[in-house]
Amino acid sequence: MTAPRILIADSDRAVSEMLQIRLEVAGYHPLSARSGVGALEVIRNMRPAVFVLDRGIPEMDAFDLLTILQKDRSRPPCPTVLIGKRLGIEEIKRAATLGVRTCMVKPFSGADLLERVAKILKPAPHGGCVSHGLAPPPARASTEFFI
Amino acid sequence: MVLSVTAELQSDVATTYDVLSWELELAGARCIFLDTLIGKLLTTVAPEHREQLLEGVQAVDLLSQHLTGLSTFARQLSQTVVAQEPVGVSAALKSITLGALADRMTTSFGGVEAGFNDGDDAGDLDLF
Repeated sequence: MTAPRILIADSDRAVSEMLQIRLEVAGYHPLSARSGVGALEVIRNMRPAVFVLDRGIPEMDAFDLLTILQKDRSRPPCPTVLIGKRLGIEEIKRAATLGVRTCMVKPFSGADLLERVAKILKPAPHGGCVSHGLAPPPARASTEFFI
Repeated sequence: MVLSVTAELQSDVATTYDVLSWELELAGARCIFLDTLIGKLLTTVAPEHREQLLEGVQAVDLLSQHLTGLSTFARQLSQTVVAQEPVGVSAALKSITLGALADRMTTSFGGVEAGFNDGDDAGDLDLF
């Protein structure tokens, strides 16, 4: 069985490398992109199982990128985790309409992200992915939001 | 947030803790990677060397937890400090001898990188 591919799109090298190491050790196949354009290319070519997107990704607005992905009917939607330094409630609501499953406010730990990715990839009883629509926030929800 | 990007790089207290927490988290992740690698090696070495290697695994595991704890501490501080007092970070960055680390932190503070990377030669041990 091949390891699920997880794309990290973040221009901050410390964040990106840390998450890649944590994902690799956890048995995933990490992919990385440093810009919005690069992320789109990786998604189209590699079809990641989960997409971790930084709100402040350069070269393209994160919401524009999510809109492009949502309109693309040639591939199944990719569950997305939106991360960012400042995510307002309006941004979180907008993200939810564009296929974002979870938002995490920076800074967070690698363990926190692994937990979110595992939950997204956990098979649901009906065979799809678990929906976090009504999931209660975890204890340390001050910096993390489930949509 | 970076307050100004001039010859003298400045930040604020929260951002400084934030950058520090990411670096500690990255160092912790590298320890976890090393821990996993040594763990795999354990199965391949002769039984008489296993105990020594096991001690290494425990030391790396402890180091990883140490770094994770410090990272959590810095992260909490970055979220709770309210003072927007500017912090001059240039001198502190110049005191970092690992080029790739100094470079990464410089860009995190909004400065311009010097072009170091964490390639194979990064962190080479000079024994002479």
